[in-house]
Amino acid sequence: MMKWVLFVPELFYTLMALVFFGASLSKKVDPRRLYVWALALAGMGLLVSVLFARQEGMLFFDAYRVDLFSQVFKVLLALGTFWVIFSCSELKGINERQHAEFYFLMAVCTLAMMMLVSAVELLTIYVAIELSSYSLYLLVSMRQRADEYVETGIKYFMIGVTASAFMIFGISLLFGMVKSTYVIDVVRVLPTVIAQPAAVVGLVLALSGFFFKQALFPFHIWAPDVYQGAANQVTTYIGTASKMAAAAMVIRFVGFSGGESGVLIKLLVALSILSMTFGNLVAIIQKDLKRLLAYSSIAHAGYMMIGILSMSQRGFASAIYYALAYLVMTYACFMVIMRIAEDGRNLQIKELAGLHKRSPLLAMTLMLGLFGLAGIPPTVGFTGKFLVFAAALEKGYLALVIIGMINATISLYYYLIVIKAAYLLEPVHPYPAVYVDSWTRYLSIILVLAMVYLGVFPDQFVALTEAAARSLP
Amino acid sequence: MHITYASFPYLSAILLSCVVGLLAIMLIPEERKALIRWVSAIFSGITLVLSACLFLAYDKSLGGLQFAEKASWVPSLGISYFNAADGFNLPLLLLTGIVFFTGVLTMWELEMRVKEFFAHYFLLVTAVFGLFMSMDLFFIFVWYDVSLFPMYLLIAVWGHTRKEYGAMKLTLYLLSGSALILPAIIYLFAKSGLHTFDILSLMQPGIFTAEQQKFAFLLLYLGFGILAGVWPFHTWSPVGHVAAPTGVSMVHAGVLMKVGAFGILRVAIFLCPEGWQYYAQLMALLAAIGIIYGALVGLRQTDLKYVIGYSSVSHMGVVGLGLATVTAQGLNGAVFQMFTHGVMTALLFSSVGYIYDRTHTKMIPELGGLSRIMPVASTYFIVAALAGMGVPGLANFWGELMVFIAAFKVYPVRGIVAVLALLVTALFMLRVVQRAFYGPGNERYAQLPDVTFCEGIPRMILVAVLVLFGLYPSLLLDVIQSASIPFMNGLPR
Repeated sequence: MMKWVLFVPELFYTLMALVFFGASLSKKVDPRRLYVWALALAGMGLLVSVLFARQEGMLFFDAYRVDLFSQVFKVLLALGTFWVIFSCSELKGINERQHAEFYFLMAVCTLAMMMLVSAVELLTIYVAIELSSYSLYLLVSMRQRADEYVETGIKYFMIGVTASAFMIFGISLLFGMVKSTYVIDVVRVLPTVIAQPAAVVGLVLALSGFFFKQALFPFHIWAPDVYQGAANQVTTYIGTASKMAAAAMVIRFVGFSGGESGVLIKLLVALSILSMTFGNLVAIIQKDLKRLLAYSSIAHAGYMMIGILSMSQRGFASAIYYALAYLVMTYACFMVIMRIAEDGRNLQIKELAGLHKRSPLLAMTLMLGLFGLAGIPPTVGFTGKFLVFAAALEKGYLALVIIGMINATISLYYYLIVIKAAYLLEPVHPYPAVYVDSWTRYLSIILVLAMVYLGVFPDQFVALTEAAARSLP
Repeated sequence: MHITYASFPYLSAILLSCVVGLLAIMLIPEERKALIRWVSAIFSGITLVLSACLFLAYDKSLGGLQFAEKASWVPSLGISYFNAADGFNLPLLLLTGIVFFTGVLTMWELEMRVKEFFAHYFLLVTAVFGLFMSMDLFFIFVWYDVSLFPMYLLIAVWGHTRKEYGAMKLTLYLLSGSALILPAIIYLFAKSGLHTFDILSLMQPGIFTAEQQKFAFLLLYLGFGILAGVWPFHTWSPVGHVAAPTGVSMVHAGVLMKVGAFGILRVAIFLCPEGWQYYAQLMALLAAIGIIYGALVGLRQTDLKYVIGYSSVSHMGVVGLGLATVTAQGLNGAVFQMFTHGVMTALLFSSVGYIYDRTHTKMIPELGGLSRIMPVASTYFIVAALAGMGVPGLANFWGELMVFIAAFKVYPVRGIVAVLALLVTALFMLRVVQRAFYGPGNERYAQLPDVTFCEGIPRMILVAVLVLFGLYPSLLLDVIQSASIPFMNGLPR
């Protein structure tokens, strides 16, 4: 019986999903009331995840492992979900009749990703990732005026199922090599057979499913269209919470090889460089803010990979820290987008004109978020980049770090274009005033403080991420 | 090296007064512009007084690091908050205090987005102060990047003349500099095996091999060299200085370029002395080219601010030449030149700013006969121009003299060529003075008012500093020597 305590966060989100499943059966539910319920439940979910962060143990015939690594990511997932639901007060991008389904799918998807970060058995992992993927396919296609964005949903689905096919094939190869689907056996046996091509191919194919979620080059093709085509809240969810789960799994899977395979590391180095360079160069020419952030997310997947491919505990810890930093910064940017585009439209960069007058607080939040993404101190983004680069240099990847820094310089260019629009451009015709309610104001202030605090006093969080990295199997 | 810990934390107090000033400005409503100006003036005044006290309180006979403050910041990474003052950074802290205060006074007439301007301005200066006083590699890098943070908006919002282009170019150049510095810093951190970013521990001889030093020195020299305006990475500097508003040009040319040169000294030379000796020839060559190139290009400019911008490239070449001599005398001259060039450039930009605000042009052919219309404003500019030519009696003379004496001994040919280039500098400065301030006047400007006493205060301070150190150079030189001679003696031969 005691064992079920380990599973409480997941049970909570199952409950939340059931509540909204019930609500979706009813014909008349006031969207305001749904919002309040969703917010309350998501807030409680965050609380529950935090309260159960220190649990440790195994469940379900050792297929499910609860440790600090998984619990840290569960807290990040719950935080991302809470923030996204918080921003749903004006859920104009989605038909009112589908709001209950929207919250239902969000809860299911969060549940699936929580299971994903805890799963230590290959088939469980596969089931969890499919559950979260299918929720996202539906969420993406839920946008109003779906006919305009119909391409988005289909593209996401097609590429997604292709990636899953690769993944299950890779898993089958791994099973062939290791004769077991338990991660603990994989970690034990795989380094001894990693010299064989089948092992590397299996691992890379299995990884491709997570690369797809993480939008690492060349699995990024969906990202710009989906970011642009999905409703703003859904994009935020994909850009923040979903990225956390992907990062956790990439860290876990890459760790399987034990750093023994030169081929695998070379491949990861190449993917990291391509991802950073491609994402940053293409982002320069974007006009749509969400599309720009999509390309920037491709680049950031590359930065995070630098930490992961260091294959050291410090490297994994730095990648976890980077994921945390990325969550906060990206959410800050998306929150500003959702506030300004209250009617749920896509936001062009030029529509930010005069933001510093329309809402100084949002302008500042956006500026700090973007400077953070560019890796300028004293923001959390700098600390993240620093830790990642330090971990890589300890292993002697000097050229990779220099390429990463050059990429950070390139990225500053397009972030500055956005900042320029917010601080410098005068609107051609007056845009409507931005309404900022007091809750959003508090959240903005919290985000600003968090970005600076985590950047200036990273000590406790570095210690936490290192402890989490140590708990990896 | 000898360390004395602080009884009163002067250095943190300087940072604190900047930060408190910044917070105070952010809390004042935007409409109360006069209050914002006064608050800015008071807090920048406090920092000036503090940095002057620090300069005077430094015990020259004792030498070494004084007023040291140390606290562990991120123990798991070996990062500590470690500030100290020695003969190298004291002149620059004083310089920052002077330029900061006079810059605030120079921007007194600003009417557009006053609150945001001073908030960004304070952030910029906080970063510069922090960098000059820090003895921790990590903090030096962080302060370097923090100074980039407000720079883009300061130029892009309040500047003029292709401001967006200038701001973008400057920001990207400086960030590429940091792209070279960060790998070098982490490289040194990882190779030392000491798990610390403390410069004092890392500069002990024998920690890095000669090969490591050569490699890291090159990265650090190029990275900081971009900010120091080393030819051929100087191209951001004239464009950025022209585009920036007056107060920012003052900080930028006056202080921020010194951050680059100081970074070469404090990080590259301190930690990689063997790399320094190895690359000295290259440094001297680039510096000499910079001196000549800046002078010749400056000769052809018709925009007053471009003239100053290129003269800065030339003068920063002198600093680079001093550093390249690998002698105590050269270091003395380089630091002296950093200080005096900072004051002189600030005065030049401040004077041009006044003229530009009245005439709305910086083009030399459109000006003319200004010395009859605004004699006081012209005097300030002419004094600064004379200082830039290296006229004895003004402080710049000593800096250039020391560098050239040191350079003659080590690099005779490059030294002679550089001195000849200084003649060209003198020529173009005189041409500017002649065309803009004498000769036939432009009727359009006949009614313009001259500088009043109050408006002249910042320029008076700057002139006074130039004259003081021109007549009494040992006041500054003794401080610098207390650091340079022990440092050179401590080098492995």
